[in-house]
Amino acid sequence: MNAGAQPAKSSPALSAGSEPVDPVYRQIRDLVYKVSGIYKTEEKLYLLAAGCGRRMKQLSAKTSREYWDHLTAHPSRDGEMRQLLNEITIGETCLFRSQPQLDALRKVILPEIVADKTKQVTRRLRIWSAGCSTGEEPYTLAMNMMEESAGTLRNWTVEILATDLNDHSVETAKAGIYGDYALRSTPDYFKRKYFVPVEDKKLQVRPEVKKLINFSRLNLQDDSRMLFMKGMDVIFCCNVLIYFDGSSKSKVINHFYSNLNFSGYFFLGTSESLLNLNDKFHLVHFPGAIAYWKPSLKSGKL
Amino acid sequence: MSTPVAANVITQVRERVKAIETMPSIPQVFLPLLDMLNLPPDLVSLNEVVKLVSYDNTIAAQCLRVASSPLFGLAKSPDTIKAAVISLGLRRVQTILLTCCMGKAFPAKDWPLDPIVFWRHSLGCAMVCRQFSEKMGGGDREKAYMAGLMHDIGFMVNCMVFPKEFGAAVKYALERQIPLDVAELATMGFTHCESGRALAELWNLSDDMIHVIAHHHNPERSGTAQPLVALVHLSDLLCRMRALGYGYYERQKVDLVEDPAWAILLREHRKLDGVDLVRFSFELDEAVEGISHLVSTIMAGGNP
Repeated sequence: MNAGAQPAKSSPALSAGSEPVDPVYRQIRDLVYKVSGIYKTEEKLYLLAAGCGRRMKQLSAKTSREYWDHLTAHPSRDGEMRQLLNEITIGETCLFRSQPQLDALRKVILPEIVADKTKQVTRRLRIWSAGCSTGEEPYTLAMNMMEESAGTLRNWTVEILATDLNDHSVETAKAGIYGDYALRSTPDYFKRKYFVPVEDKKLQVRPEVKKLINFSRLNLQDDSRMLFMKGMDVIFCCNVLIYFDGSSKSKVINHFYSNLNFSGYFFLGTSESLLNLNDKFHLVHFPGAIAYWKPSLKSGKL
Repeated sequence: MSTPVAANVITQVRERVKAIETMPSIPQVFLPLLDMLNLPPDLVSLNEVVKLVSYDNTIAAQCLRVASSPLFGLAKSPDTIKAAVISLGLRRVQTILLTCCMGKAFPAKDWPLDPIVFWRHSLGCAMVCRQFSEKMGGGDREKAYMAGLMHDIGFMVNCMVFPKEFGAAVKYALERQIPLDVAELATMGFTHCESGRALAELWNLSDDMIHVIAHHHNPERSGTAQPLVALVHLSDLLCRMRALGYGYYERQKVDLVEDPAWAILLREHRKLDGVDLVRFSFELDEAVEGISHLVSTIMAGGNP
């Protein structure tokens, strides 16, 4: 947060004592946010700087200022922005990527959905991991839902839909084999309970976890298929929207809105914002996590 | 909205707060400072503020260090109080002094609430109030800061005057993962809003500040100071959702825009509608580390 006395651009970095950050990276950070809704906080600026560094090498750009021109003034600026977004979101996927999102789901959202649906005959919870990449997110969700199966979700059926555009990713996801890096945030308790050791010191997700998930290939821009993805209680779509430009992005978001049940929740990546691409969703806060909520019919706030 | 606390309970709380003899070891400059903060800014002179800050060496040294915190906007520590006043302005130096005094006014000993967590929340809320009012482009930013800083002084009163009862309330809140004020009402029959108000009256704080302390959980109950109280209410909620709460998980969903306080504030500040709350939250995350540093500075006393 910037101090009030000075203009934002010249305010000192909060990480007192560390190397001062090249102010151009703050400008690039703001531009990235404006274009994609992805915000690199001060302590993650080095990641942005590293991503820029790799792009600068490719382009033989010598200074950050020169690279800024590539992003803003060159004819290929849109393509360059996409390349940069790829660079800064790469490798962000791992199991248990955001504990605050999982806490929000288990401690607040599930009890709310269960209370809302008690009068319904079918007790079914549907979660969609849209852009599931190599499966880290859907498996994390599945394991966490299994933890609730004796408590909040007792006698409930859980269905997790996991889709990705990339066939190869979907196949890798189905295998469910992960190494140390992907498992770096996974608590030992989950590793012991839901995985079996396989070759190369890797771990494979147990079949009972896989049973909860339906993997398939899906292009989020395929309108006719998107129309059939109905009845979702919660949708996770982390670091995927960056691949769409303005108009197709709001179209995809509108699809997500209709795909959700009333009172359903939409989660983005932890440093991602929907900007103002949809004014029907309500922004809601949980401790350490932000989500978008589709208002309930009875709230009268549609 | 919770039921208002009965008048007779409020009277009892007031009597208990009045009766304590060992009221916190308030630094000598504290009460004159509060008086000065009540004055219109144009009636306060630079020399008076410099004199007040310089009165106590340890506090003066601490003020200079706090002034150089990134959260107050100076890249390096000013050499003299006068230099600090010139670079930061009178009002900001007054709030820095208030920040330092508040840390000393309540010696943290055997608190049921972790004092570090308490100060992180109070300072966080002060920062958010100031930042919010800056983004809205209206109102007195330093007053907003002061309101955020002082809104929860009732918790400190509870720690000192009702330690046993308040200890039970904290335990109740932690076990159920519910907001502290809800737990206080359930177990004690009153909240930090009532005990804070009693102290605020004893200290002759301004009416606006009394309203903030008494009504920040129910801004619609405040008459004259509604926008300021609403600002503190929203900032308090946002802090509790972004790692500057009371150090435990509060099972709740917060929709700031749907909160009645939002509408109250919006009536005064149309620009509130344009505030990007997601980015604001991310920026708040960036400030957490700086706030923690500041708390260590304040709690360390006068020694560097």
